[in-house]
Amino acid sequence: MQTVFSVAVDALAYGMVLFVISIGLSVTMGLMRVVNLAHGAFAMIGGYIASYAVRDLGLGYAAAVLIAVFGTVLIAIPIERLLYRRIYGSPELTQVLMTIGITFCIIGIANYVFGPTLKTIPLPAELQGSVDLGFRSIATHRIFAIACGLAVALGLWYLIERTGFGVKLRAAVDDAAMAAALGVRTDVVYAVSFAIGIGLAAFGGVVGAELLPVEPYYALRYMVTFLVVVSVGGAGSIPGALLACLVLGGIDTTGRYLWPEFGEFFFYAAVIAIICVFPRGLAGRAR
Amino acid sequence: MALLVKQEHGMANATTRTAVTRDLIGLVAIIVVAGIGYLLFPNNLALLTRIIAIAFLVLSLDLVTGFCGIATLGHAALFGAGAYAAGMASVHFGINEPITMVMVGLIAGAVAGLISGAVVLRAHGLPQLVLSIALIHLFHELANKASSWTGGSDGLSGITPDPLLGMFEFDLWGRTAYVFGVVLLLIVFAVLTRVVRSPFGMLCRGIKEDPIRIRAMGGAVQSTLLRMYIISGAVAGIGGALNAISTQVVGLDSLSFTLSAESLVMLVLGGTGSLYGGLIGTVVFMWFEDLVSAANPFHWLTMVGALLILVVLFAPRGLYGSAAAYFTRRGERR
Amino acid sequence: MKRYIMAAIAALALSSAAYADTIKVGVIGPFSGPFALQGKNFKAGIDAYIAVNGNKVGDHEVEVIYRDVPQPDPAQSKALAQELVIKEGVQYLAGFYFTPDAMAATPLLKQANVPMVIMNAATSAIVTKSPYVVRTSFTTWQTSTPIAQVARDKGIGKVISVVSDYGPGVDAENAFKAAFETAGGSVVEAIRIPLATNDFSPIMQRIKDSGAEAVFAFLPSGPTTLGFVKAYNENGLKEAGVQFLAPGDLTQESDLPALGEAATGILTTFHYAVSHDSPENKAFVEAASKAIGNPAELSFPSVGAYDGMHVIYKMIEATGGEQDAEKAVEAVKGLSWQSPRGPVTIDPESRHLTQNIYLREVAKGDDGKYYNKEIQTFENQGDPGLTAGK
Repeated sequence: MQTVFSVAVDALAYGMVLFVISIGLSVTMGLMRVVNLAHGAFAMIGGYIASYAVRDLGLGYAAAVLIAVFGTVLIAIPIERLLYRRIYGSPELTQVLMTIGITFCIIGIANYVFGPTLKTIPLPAELQGSVDLGFRSIATHRIFAIACGLAVALGLWYLIERTGFGVKLRAAVDDAAMAAALGVRTDVVYAVSFAIGIGLAAFGGVVGAELLPVEPYYALRYMVTFLVVVSVGGAGSIPGALLACLVLGGIDTTGRYLWPEFGEFFFYAAVIAIICVFPRGLAGRAR
Repeated sequence: MALLVKQEHGMANATTRTAVTRDLIGLVAIIVVAGIGYLLFPNNLALLTRIIAIAFLVLSLDLVTGFCGIATLGHAALFGAGAYAAGMASVHFGINEPITMVMVGLIAGAVAGLISGAVVLRAHGLPQLVLSIALIHLFHELANKASSWTGGSDGLSGITPDPLLGMFEFDLWGRTAYVFGVVLLLIVFAVLTRVVRSPFGMLCRGIKEDPIRIRAMGGAVQSTLLRMYIISGAVAGIGGALNAISTQVVGLDSLSFTLSAESLVMLVLGGTGSLYGGLIGTVVFMWFEDLVSAANPFHWLTMVGALLILVVLFAPRGLYGSAAAYFTRRGERR
Repeated sequence: MKRYIMAAIAALALSSAAYADTIKVGVIGPFSGPFALQGKNFKAGIDAYIAVNGNKVGDHEVEVIYRDVPQPDPAQSKALAQELVIKEGVQYLAGFYFTPDAMAATPLLKQANVPMVIMNAATSAIVTKSPYVVRTSFTTWQTSTPIAQVARDKGIGKVISVVSDYGPGVDAENAFKAAFETAGGSVVEAIRIPLATNDFSPIMQRIKDSGAEAVFAFLPSGPTTLGFVKAYNENGLKEAGVQFLAPGDLTQESDLPALGEAATGILTTFHYAVSHDSPENKAFVEAASKAIGNPAELSFPSVGAYDGMHVIYKMIEATGGEQDAEKAVEAVKGLSWQSPRGPVTIDPESRHLTQNIYLREVAKGDDGKYYNKEIQTFENQGDPGLTAGK
């Protein structure tokens, strides 16, 4: 019984870390309909900035997170203006080509500027060590990641479902021309939601760095994981993404505990099974 | 269905002459380009042969993505199945006759196509993409696990093809492999030009444009797509077998997500929905990659990325697609 | 007829290469992509050797040509090797980080009359694929075997083995198991985990449940090792006193700044530590640090490359710059020299290095940096992997 609890805790922690890292992609892909394969690249930029801020500038962790998020958005703005704007509404494959191109460039530049070694983001004393849950202990930063995941989920849900901006965003997503005709500045809405998507990517990159360490190949190494999680959840759905992360995290963790030799089989067989049952993802909307 | 086919027959008759002429020009163009490649780079035939092998994969991907509108990032499964089947036939069963090895690859590719199609066709759009990703990872894991058969991560080595037709050895300089590859490509290309223009090919295009309408007209959407997937698998399988014969080793990379993604990039780079686009994309991408990675083995990835971005900005339909559109426009203006 | 023409062309191509003043060495390795760090170390080792010994052997100038194979890709490796031999006219093939890439190129050697000097790829069987293969690195069997003795000496009887499910991982598992069971210990469980594993908590749970006194691990260096070591700490295995044993790939110096405190106390056996105390190594580290730019990036592939260049220079010396693979390989069989890692000899039978294997512990130095501290030497270790019959 203790083992069951223990594995469940691991599953929850892993699922929530996946959620924090992937949710930004759900925003760009589901709400803006851009297959943004460069999501990992932006998460990686966030990680690099945070690592630089803590290690070389000696800043605190909280300050580093803020700088990473805003710094990444700042870097992304010209990229959005020059490149992404050209592919809104393009066929998916064109978007794939463009965003893979961007990813290749960012990997090359990161390798050149920061070198190929792993970069860590030192945790503050409060997040180091582990917490005793009674039947086992768990790393404090995992609890922090779970909390971050919940906060992001709640915040996004509130933003999209309860604010004026959310109404405009949903309108722009469902019918851009009609929304524009009704006076919604769709370009502003798009720019803001793109910034949110990128900011979340950077945030996830920093918070998740304990599990997915930052190095130049980060951008491609985890791309598949992000894509799978978001699609299984149903792109654009916050509860869907959360559910997908918990389900996939659970299957992955349990599979790896019970039959580590076949961990990969379990994960991908589960993905196929879920999509066969829910062809639009767990919370996908009919279009 | 009958109506549709009849209509297409009418259309086909009217355009048959120009289409046949165009196909002939295409075949001649391949021969000319292959000849130029041979004369210009006689010392680099290994690369050229590899380009041809990958061209089969990209053509095969074009059949499902360009003509049927199926999004897949797992197409290397078909290529790798062909490569491993041909390799294992040689290593474990002593089948070393090159043409037989290609046939083995073809059949294995078609079977892998059937399996892939059966899974991938169960969803659309993004979930479909993810199904294909899951599938390629399963294939990859399977090959890794069955290491007594496949050599696992060390690769399947010891493939020793006999001389082609009993006369031409597969040697260091790679001439035999190159000529063999070019001939295979010509045959496959000729067959494919017929396939895509046949009523069956037209039906696939129709499904891509509007599956609901085709279904309403009585077309069997799923089984048509599945058939195309099998054909596509056969084509990819030939490419895999050619790769196994020419390099005499098969690695897990031939069943990888990376290869799948690269082939998709090459296809989109050239332009989807036209066999020429697939060929041009493969040649341009691999040639460019070889060029920049030899010039700077450490930081060439940035250059490839820049190429992809530039193509999207200035040739959004791919190199061939955009060029074709440009000339059509000019033609219309006159 | 065809064959005669080919032979004539071949003779022409080869003779023109043989009398040229410049001798080209083609190096294939991962210079971009996820293993770019290891490729960078190849280049640093080669550059260091050239910086120390000059780029000339007698009258012959040595030129190194690099080709990139970012990930294991035998077909690509073979195509590039072919290109290097035929188009660039290289007289020596070298490098090869991954086993399949090396295996793919071995069938070319005889026809091309080119020796291959492997600077890393660590599967025992490669040297059997062609008589023209010489290896200046190590094998996983060679570095994984002594750690079993270390475990027994510490009184450890039960060990759980956890390896990544790929060639080197399986090699390490077999090597450790064979040596540990011969020494009277028992491997209570042997787990092979998929290469793409991000979260190791469930594995740690397995280790706990197994009741083993120590864990033997082999994973690819970089993110995978970092994740594993972190999970080992966070799940309380270190506190519980479960000893961490591994071959030295896991604690390569370039990863130590990231691993940091979490890695202290890990015991590894390996052929080379950057901290190795000898005048040869001091000179090497100085030159290689300069070549790589950032000394923190220096790790074991650089020494394999450095010694590889030494062997190639000796081969050029012996053949007088003529292309003669057989003579070149014959000349270095039994060759001994003082490598930065210690005394080494090329075993004439296997054409693989006989060398010292060191037991090391990750420790914090006086300057606050972490390093592999050598605490015991196993002298003149051959490669047990070949006799184990794979």
